[in-house]
Amino acid sequence: MKKAAHSTDTYNTNHAGRQPVKAGLMITKIILLGLLNALALWAIPILWGDSQWILLGVLVIATAGIDYAFLSKKALPLRFMLPGLLFMMIMVIFPIGYTVYVAFTNFGTGHILTKAQAVDQYTHRYLLQENLPVYTPEYYTDNAGQFAVLLTDPDGRQFVGYEQTLYSLAESPLELVDEDGDGVFDKIGNLGRLGGLEVFSYLGQFEKLVFQYDDHLDNRTDVYLKMRSMDQFASYVPQFEYSAASDTLTDLEDGTAYRVLDGSFVSDSGETLDVGFRTTVGWRNFTSLLTNKRIAGPFWQVFSWTIVWAILSVVTTFALGLLLAVLLNDAKLKLRGLYRVLLIIPYTLPAFISALIWRGMFNTEVGLINNVLGMSIPWLQDPFWAKVALIIVNLWLGFPYMMIISLGALQSIPTDLYEAATVDGASGWHQFWKITFPLLLVSLAPLLIASFAFNFNNFSVIYLVTEGRPAIAGALTPTGATDILITYTYRLAFEGGSGGRYGLASAVSILIFLIVGTISWFNFRFTGALEEVNDNG
Amino acid sequence: MKRFVVLALVLLSVVGAALTATASTEGKLLIWADELRTTVVTDLAKEFTAKYKVPVEVQELGFGDIRDQLAVAAPAGKGPDIIVGAHDWLGQLVTNGLIAPIDFAKQKDFSPVALNAFTWGKNLYGVPYAIESIGLFYNKNLVPNPPKTWDELLTIGRRISDKANKKYGFVIPQPDPYHTFPMMSAAGGYVFGTNPDGTLNPLDVGLNNQGAVRGLELLVQLIKEGIMPTGIDYPTMMSLFKEGRMGMIVTGPWAIAEIREAKVNYGFTKIPMIDGKAPRPFVGVQGFMISSFSKNKMLAKAFLNDYIATEATMNALFNKDPRPTAHLALAAKITDPDIIGTFESANAGIPMPAIPEMASVWTAWSNALELIFNGKMTPQKALDEAVVQIIATIKGQ
Repeated sequence: MKKAAHSTDTYNTNHAGRQPVKAGLMITKIILLGLLNALALWAIPILWGDSQWILLGVLVIATAGIDYAFLSKKALPLRFMLPGLLFMMIMVIFPIGYTVYVAFTNFGTGHILTKAQAVDQYTHRYLLQENLPVYTPEYYTDNAGQFAVLLTDPDGRQFVGYEQTLYSLAESPLELVDEDGDGVFDKIGNLGRLGGLEVFSYLGQFEKLVFQYDDHLDNRTDVYLKMRSMDQFASYVPQFEYSAASDTLTDLEDGTAYRVLDGSFVSDSGETLDVGFRTTVGWRNFTSLLTNKRIAGPFWQVFSWTIVWAILSVVTTFALGLLLAVLLNDAKLKLRGLYRVLLIIPYTLPAFISALIWRGMFNTEVGLINNVLGMSIPWLQDPFWAKVALIIVNLWLGFPYMMIISLGALQSIPTDLYEAATVDGASGWHQFWKITFPLLLVSLAPLLIASFAFNFNNFSVIYLVTEGRPAIAGALTPTGATDILITYTYRLAFEGGSGGRYGLASAVSILIFLIVGTISWFNFRFTGALEEVNDNG
Repeated sequence: MKRFVVLALVLLSVVGAALTATASTEGKLLIWADELRTTVVTDLAKEFTAKYKVPVEVQELGFGDIRDQLAVAAPAGKGPDIIVGAHDWLGQLVTNGLIAPIDFAKQKDFSPVALNAFTWGKNLYGVPYAIESIGLFYNKNLVPNPPKTWDELLTIGRRISDKANKKYGFVIPQPDPYHTFPMMSAAGGYVFGTNPDGTLNPLDVGLNNQGAVRGLELLVQLIKEGIMPTGIDYPTMMSLFKEGRMGMIVTGPWAIAEIREAKVNYGFTKIPMIDGKAPRPFVGVQGFMISSFSKNKMLAKAFLNDYIATEATMNALFNKDPRPTAHLALAAKITDPDIIGTFESANAGIPMPAIPEMASVWTAWSNALELIFNGKMTPQKALDEAVVQIIATIKGQ
């Protein structure tokens, strides 16, 4: 903060003599801020109307924040931090918060609607009564949001349907007028008849009309008239009734009551209605992960391979990258620029494509590698060789990154250290291990730890090259020998049960975060990677 | 200053996008279609708008994205009225409450298998346009007369296969349940048994019965005799066939364009009979569905009944993407032998189970196939294990 305050002063002094520019800036600033605020004011009622509370909150806070940052002199440093803070809110904090929230819900296939939406679907399910008469409709509107229908039954009796009520012609609150005398009413009140194709523009309105049967029809209050198609209104009975007091859905046909249980409607005999809703389920996702034998079964096997995989990924790519960097850093090497470009190529190709090409090359029978070697190594069919293949692919994909960062770090090692070492008679080998390597590690350790964390969750390479295969024989849960935690849990969440178990997937990702976080924390502590290294520098 | 301008623009666009996102609104149809269907539907949409004065917007999405996006957009009130999709999404879409039954007036014009595939419970949820399943592609230079029985296939395979020169008689992608199922179903293998009321029973898994095991034993025999190479995935299989090094492969009509382009002298027919019984491949059906969050269900029904379910539209859809049509009158007019071949094998097939529990089946099944093809386990043992895994996974949800 001290530094920031200091730079504020500099800013002010520097601009003290340039008043006109500042005034111009000021005006632009006010205009832009005004526009932003106007926009926000315009958006607030719309978001309010849409019940988009989170978006509304973000909008209000962001607008207020921007106004404050740009109008208050004290908040000057905030002007530079605000964009970053806002993006961090939107892209980091919000997804994390949402993941944590989802981990405590049953969100997934069959449970994606809100309870209100699910109940709404059930209460809008109607059963067509084919034995009851159908009615021929005529459609009327005043083009201002008023709609009416004139329904004619097979015996020629006519009814006016208006504002949820069915009237006989005699009782109709609106006058029916046949202007041209052709026997068809042209107007109901001031609602004009829609001819032929005009109706299409209003179908969305007319399909919402529902009229309860009453003494005009049958005295049955459980039957409703509703549009069945353009030229037909038919009788329906609702399939379910929802009681908010007891929180139950009742099947009106047989009286079965379905009670709410974990986001589903379940009858006493255990029958579950097909559409459920999303709801919080407490720690269930976590406990099922930790206690379910099917899930816990292959866990340790998968976990240990994940660790081995992450360590080997980092070690192999770093070793090769560093080796190449040291070679390329040697001024005696000719065509260094060319080599550098060539070696970076794997990094520039989309990993997605490279991985698939490698997969083809590893094919046992027709793959390039076995053809060239003249052998028939079961690359992707044997657990050991599949792991070797993965390490090779990852090495190809990952070494350029390590080479680039090592090249950068090599530049930062003072050359006088080497001069002194040479004077003392240290060999190149000694210089590397005693000077280059320790100094490199100081600056690269955080990156290596980050790389470890990345490879720990390197879903794409595993999935594209082996899909976690080959299969482990006799596992309780379908598992592959090269499955790492993230691919394994992907299967649990998306290829198990009825698929798409987002709640479980979120719980898993939180657990994985805890694991990676713990390991990284120990790494940082152990290597002291984040401590100030060059106090005297 | 510059940052501020950028920031203001970003905010503006975020708010703008949130407010203007298109959604199902009364009196306007919004259709989500994939690339190939979009062109056809867009033309129809123009006709529809001209005639009925109802605006129709067609948005193009990736085929798979349609299903995923619908789950997000529809409940938020931002979804379409009509979507293009596959019948095996049905279980997921219905249990998620995302699609509405269709009162479809022209059922008699369409293939019963296709309509059956789009039926869930008592209701029809889709207007089908294409019906497809897999069959046998053969290279006429290597296999002049396609086999009618599995024994003939063996004889031809033995004649062609020459492992040293990387020539093979027959292959299916591995480990791929979809392409393996016809061989398992011929003698009686099935995925889910049927309840008395016609619905599927997810706890009756028939992937380890005698018929299923028999089919896999035949495939293992092919591997042992060097007729079928192992560890071949779909792209590898296709490239071997296009290079003329493969006598016969099993796959579906989507591969026709690719094979024609590679100028392979190919033929397409049904997979040969196993023990005198016809293999029954999975049938996939594509069609149009109506969102349950649509505010224009009547309009959408009118569009599907009067514009989509016509022979002319079905023909246009077929010309754009030559998958066997589900429209009976149009199918009767088709002369392309490949398409007739797929149509025949599709009509003999079994709709791929659409219940959400199918998600629990694929991995366990393909793991079993892998263990079998790699010779790590016998078919009976691997399939027994797979069925235990599948039932445990389904129960454990």
